[in-house]
Amino acid sequence: MPKRKLDPLPSSAFQILLALVGEDLHGYGIMRQVAEQTDGRMRLGPGTLYSSIRVLLEEGFIEELDSREDDRLGDERRRYYRLASAGRKLACSEAERLADLLRVARAKKILRGRYV
Amino acid sequence: MSEKLYALLLRLYPSHFREEYGREALQLFHDRARDERGFFPRVRLWLDLLFDLTISLPREYLHIPSPSVAASAPQRLNGLPAFYFLQNESPRPSALLLGGIFSLVALTTCWVSLNQVHSAANSGASQFAAARNERESGRTESAQTTPRAAASSAAPALTQAGAMDPAERKHILAGTIANLKEHYIDRGAAQRMADALAMHEKHGDYNAVTDRAAFAALLTQQMREINPDRHLTLDYFQDPLPWHPVAQTPEVVTQYREAMKRQNCAFEKIELLPRNIGYLKLNSFPDPEVCRVAAMAAMTYVNHADAIIFDLRDNGGGNPEMVQFIGAYLFDHPEYWYNPRENTTEQSWTRSPVPGNNLADKPVFVLTSARTFSGAEQFCYDLKMLKRATIVGETTGGAAHSGVWHRIDAHFGMGIPEAKAINPYSSTDWAEIGVEPDVKVEAANALDLALKLARTKPKEK
Repeated sequence: MPKRKLDPLPSSAFQILLALVGEDLHGYGIMRQVAEQTDGRMRLGPGTLYSSIRVLLEEGFIEELDSREDDRLGDERRRYYRLASAGRKLACSEAERLADLLRVARAKKILRGRYV
Repeated sequence: MSEKLYALLLRLYPSHFREEYGREALQLFHDRARDERGFFPRVRLWLDLLFDLTISLPREYLHIPSPSVAASAPQRLNGLPAFYFLQNESPRPSALLLGGIFSLVALTTCWVSLNQVHSAANSGASQFAAARNERESGRTESAQTTPRAAASSAAPALTQAGAMDPAERKHILAGTIANLKEHYIDRGAAQRMADALAMHEKHGDYNAVTDRAAFAALLTQQMREINPDRHLTLDYFQDPLPWHPVAQTPEVVTQYREAMKRQNCAFEKIELLPRNIGYLKLNSFPDPEVCRVAAMAAMTYVNHADAIIFDLRDNGGGNPEMVQFIGAYLFDHPEYWYNPRENTTEQSWTRSPVPGNNLADKPVFVLTSARTFSGAEQFCYDLKMLKRATIVGETTGGAAHSGVWHRIDAHFGMGIPEAKAINPYSSTDWAEIGVEPDVKVEAANALDLALKLARTKPKEK
């Protein structure tokens, strides 16, 4: 039995899931959203972005919508992606796992200064 | 421009990725390039892309597209091997063309390097073949003087990157002088020759010489003008010289033994001809360690002949000990057996008489040709000087090989005499001039003539 491709969940895949929460996005939209939510620390390149998207699609965590144009970016048709319910669950459990980690870190008092 | 470059980089991805997301990847690049203008954003974009390439390329090549696996999986039957397709599509024509070109380049490279190895091995092997032939309990004549020397030095220099340049001439000249001073038996003469060569160089006598073989011949001639020693040579070889003499590994010795066994130790014919004339056609003088028994058997076979003919027309030389071993059968007392490579020692005397031997007083004829070389010429020369045989045929090749061989570089080497053997017969041996036959006749007719002579000649001694 092959190991699941997203176990553990790579941070790029997690960021893509988070980017799709709330709105359907095309590839470039996801890339920009990820850059925004990480304060520019993670800028997904085309290779990483689309290989993550493909795995998420194969595993059923996101779904592909019909191509359409993005009014702001010209008349090219683009493939849009939407978060599937399994993807939402996966993002939730990953967030909880991280929250658990954060609690441990707090308990160990390794965090200095302000934190949320 | 940069979009084209990225399109090229995209071709590094496997086809399944390009087909599925190639257009999107290019679109993403296009979007970023449009939004991130200016020098630093553009540098950052390219760094991102290169980083992305190194991360995602291996992942893409490891990725097996799931539909193909799914399609081939049902073919698996219990206990039967199944094949998974990693790539369903057939390669693009351009990929096939590129693959073809790469294969051709790889095959050509292999072929060229194999040839290099082969020619190096061959030059080693040819040197070995002769060296082994002429090897003698640690003292070999041809390990000292490579057998191709005479031929190659006369041959035109065809290869080795064009004409000789001043740097190469200087290098070879310096090597020649150094070897002379270090190894030549007469120190005073060595110094005089070295001075003469240096003087020629100073006068610019070599400036016009661009042919390597001609350069070797010129230096040889100039050394001999000062000191007439025909065993002193500088030779040029087209084929690269091996670094070291061929090692006597057990495998090599075994190969030699087997080769000798197959060739009956180079005794091509051992016959008793009509009128009880013993005929031995010997094409080499093999190592007695391997062939002593065969040589004894051959001599025993003709032991009761009334005359004996040694056919050395195809004999390229060999082991001086074997030359002397066979020579011993022709005397009833020890005879001084001249070998230009050896100082006078007790080894210089034949071990005659040989017990049970009847040949010591029988007429001996030796057949020669221009291909009779080296050790075979020693056999002719000594028997002729001892007036023990009638030499019938052509003047021999003239290869005395009495110098010790010194490598200067991959294509130049020197033969330098390091021992002074006493020649009791004359001031010269057969080096370069060969052994003159007593009865001159074309090699092809030598046997007929020798047979006639043997039948008419009365018993000697």
